Amino acid sequence: MGKALSWLLGGRRPLASHLLLAPAAGWLIVFLLVPAAGLALLSLAKNGAYGQVIWTFGLHNYRRAFDAKYLPVLLRTFAFAGGTTALCLLLGYPLAYYLSFRAGRWRNALLIGLMVPFWTSALVAFYSWMIILGKEGLLNAALLRFGFISAPIGILYTPFSVLLGLVYFYLPFTVLPLYASLEKVPRSVVEAAYDLGAGRWTAFLKVTLPLSLPGVMAGGLLTFVPCLGDFLTAELLGGPRFYLLGNLISNQFLMAQDWPFGAALTCLLLIGLIGGLWVYRRWEAEDA
Amino acid sequence: MKRSRGMGLYCAGLYAFLYLPLGVMTAFSFNDAHRNVVWRGFTFKWYRVLFADAELMRSMLTSLELAAAAAAIAAVLGLLASYALTRHKAFAGRRAYSALLDAPLMMPEVALGVGLLSFLVRAGYELDFGALACAHALICLPYTVGSVRARLKSMGEEHLEEAAMDLGATEWTAFVKVTLPLAMPAVVSGCLLAFTVSFEDFVTSFFLAGIGIVTMPIKVYSMMKFGVTPEINALSVLLLAATALLLALNAVFASGPDEASRA
Repeated sequence: MGKALSWLLGGRRPLASHLLLAPAAGWLIVFLLVPAAGLALLSLAKNGAYGQVIWTFGLHNYRRAFDAKYLPVLLRTFAFAGGTTALCLLLGYPLAYYLSFRAGRWRNALLIGLMVPFWTSALVAFYSWMIILGKEGLLNAALLRFGFISAPIGILYTPFSVLLGLVYFYLPFTVLPLYASLEKVPRSVVEAAYDLGAGRWTAFLKVTLPLSLPGVMAGGLLTFVPCLGDFLTAELLGGPRFYLLGNLISNQFLMAQDWPFGAALTCLLLIGLIGGLWVYRRWEAEDA
Repeated sequence: MKRSRGMGLYCAGLYAFLYLPLGVMTAFSFNDAHRNVVWRGFTFKWYRVLFADAELMRSMLTSLELAAAAAAIAAVLGLLASYALTRHKAFAGRRAYSALLDAPLMMPEVALGVGLLSFLVRAGYELDFGALACAHALICLPYTVGSVRARLKSMGEEHLEEAAMDLGATEWTAFVKVTLPLAMPAVVSGCLLAFTVSFEDFVTSFFLAGIGIVTMPIKVYSMMKFGVTPEINALSVLLLAATALLLALNAVFASGPDEASRA
């Protein structure tokens, strides 16, 4: 027994390594890869009149995803993921910069301060946003009080509230990689730029910013990819009329009972995700 | 410095944005009014309502059991995998294993949920607690692997297991007496993160919870759909406190081993 375990742990044979990795890899294959392959297969099937699956294969579900009814949802999702990423990068970069270069003894406290909203359940945070943005919410009450508006306006359940929710939720996802890459910028190089007569802006634009681009790309990727598949934000803050791809997929499975079409939409989402990863890897390989 | 102060103000604004919803729900959890926006005085009423809500308490228990099961599975699988990835000499397929282990982080939860849903239903498997626990273990796995792997890697530089084996220990003895005790804080830290991930998970459970299983986030979601109730604010505050506590514990365990090994 002890001998067999020692052989397993020693790992002088590849078989021992594969055996130790088998439980985790098996888990991922059974619960991730096989279901994904199943979705790919399902996406080619046909939906019957009573929501049953008819196994005749074709690309009709994909054609349907690009018709006039559904294409706007795909484009909207792409635009919202892109817009959220851009906003998070623009808003988050100065914060990451401050944390890395300026925060001094406050840095650890501020970083921990970033972790609390990061780990707070989205359900909880969005519920609170519903209270703030609703018709009888705090924001409307404040605007009325100060006379900016004369009657409550619809802020919740609009594209704006969804974008706000996405930016709120993903901001820490952008800031943390940005901060990590700014930490790696050698301070001596920035000092050297100052010594050679560069002003603050020149030093930032010519030295710090280019050196932090890996963080910009990583933060962008970590925001863009999950945004494409986001479900909860539009579910809670978008109301019944404004929804994104994730909600459309969920509807096909839970309400419309059109699983093949839902599977095709999911495959499109996964293709978008793999595309995003591919662009990132290409950039990373070129940069290295 | 003036420039720095402007930036400091900007950052303070951003933190205010991040904390606004947390502050609002904390304030209103103590508000003695059913309609949320008007302040009617301080009360603990909603916390009493919360603890008297039997259904909610049952869902809390379900979520705790689920998170414990998922974290335990993820810890065992993650420990074995991390050990092979950091201690074994290079073998074909190591990078593929690494990429595979990170995959759940990138997989959108909606895709994971509908994929598992259609797979299990088509395979004729009844959706039950076990199925949900397996799915949760999957999304937890990258967190235990990440934590344990980093610790094993940094420990590897100290060649402690080799020293034990030079002194006559077998691989198994070295693992039990050296590796495991020293890696334990990282295992615990990974478990805490995994527990948090599972406990807070809504999307995966939403698709996979059959008829019988109501996790706490699912219960909260149905309450939210039903209408605004200050009870959710009180619950949110407790969850927020729990999250902060888990993070603090995690910070203790994540920083612990270095001091321990130095002592």
